[in-house]
Amino acid sequence: MQALYLSATPTSPEVDFRFDQHILSIKGESYPENAAAFYTPLIAQVQTYLAACDSQQISVNVSLAYFNSSSTKMLFAFFDALNQAALAGNEVQLNWYHDEDDDTILEFGEELRDDFTALDFRAHAVSGQ
Amino acid sequence: MLYEEFNDFWDVARKRHIIFFYVGYFSQHVVAAISETIKARLDTAGAAGPTRRRIFSSFVEMSQNIMHYSSDTLTPGQEHTGQMRRGSFCIGMKDDSFFLLCANPVDSANVERIRQRLEPLHCMTMDEIKSAYKKALRDEAPSDSKGAGLGFLTMARDASEPLEFEFVQEAHAPDTTVFCIKAII
Repeated sequence: MQALYLSATPTSPEVDFRFDQHILSIKGESYPENAAAFYTPLIAQVQTYLAACDSQQISVNVSLAYFNSSSTKMLFAFFDALNQAALAGNEVQLNWYHDEDDDTILEFGEELRDDFTALDFRAHAVSGQ
Repeated sequence: MLYEEFNDFWDVARKRHIIFFYVGYFSQHVVAAISETIKARLDTAGAAGPTRRRIFSSFVEMSQNIMHYSSDTLTPGQEHTGQMRRGSFCIGMKDDSFFLLCANPVDSANVERIRQRLEPLHCMTMDEIKSAYKKALRDEAPSDSKGAGLGFLTMARDASEPLEFEFVQEAHAPDTTVFCIKAII
């Protein structure tokens, strides 16, 4: 499946989905004007990719310094899709990078860990800015 | 003389310890540009890391609310991108706290709906706000929301005191009400 790459803008993150290598990365800040319009096509592609995965090891790297409320909702849907794939027999590792001082992002990560128990959730505190 | 005109204006802002002030139309480009300014301004104002993040988060929620919901719009209401709508926003300091104040016109018919969203938050503890946030995260978004129904909860979570809000009827336009909201960080 063809890779999906979007470069970062001032209000949207870099998206680097290398489906053939089974590495999906999101990095930056996320407060686009319309989070649903930004994330819905990405999630659709990920779902197409996941549907073809069978007992696959998948690495997901998320390093978001900030995301607004509507992005939060879309990210939750993204992780839900990954969790479904993990329940279907894939091994999905979620590397969750957060600033060591940022309780909000760490707490959201913990929400994900509690809700999406099939994911191999790994929090990584990153120092400084 | 020209500079005095500015100074009269600026003195008022300075006396109120305003560190940022904008009145006008909000588009996504304006939000991005103000974001850049605010981040730099908060660095020089000496706010601690977590405080800076809370202020920034509240700014984004408030400014995107204006962009999506203000009733004074330059762009057709049904479009989902490229919106430009009018409102006012400022950040200031009082004692040891920062405050964010935001105002925009709304249709008077929507006042009760907004009030019903905000009023319950006023008497919630921080733990209750966090659990309401967690619940809303998992619920379907309300049909009248362009975001996620999480905006006010996000502001309430980032604030250190209950959100204050007010509705002021426009004297010459009964269909329009000004909605004001204030967050203390």
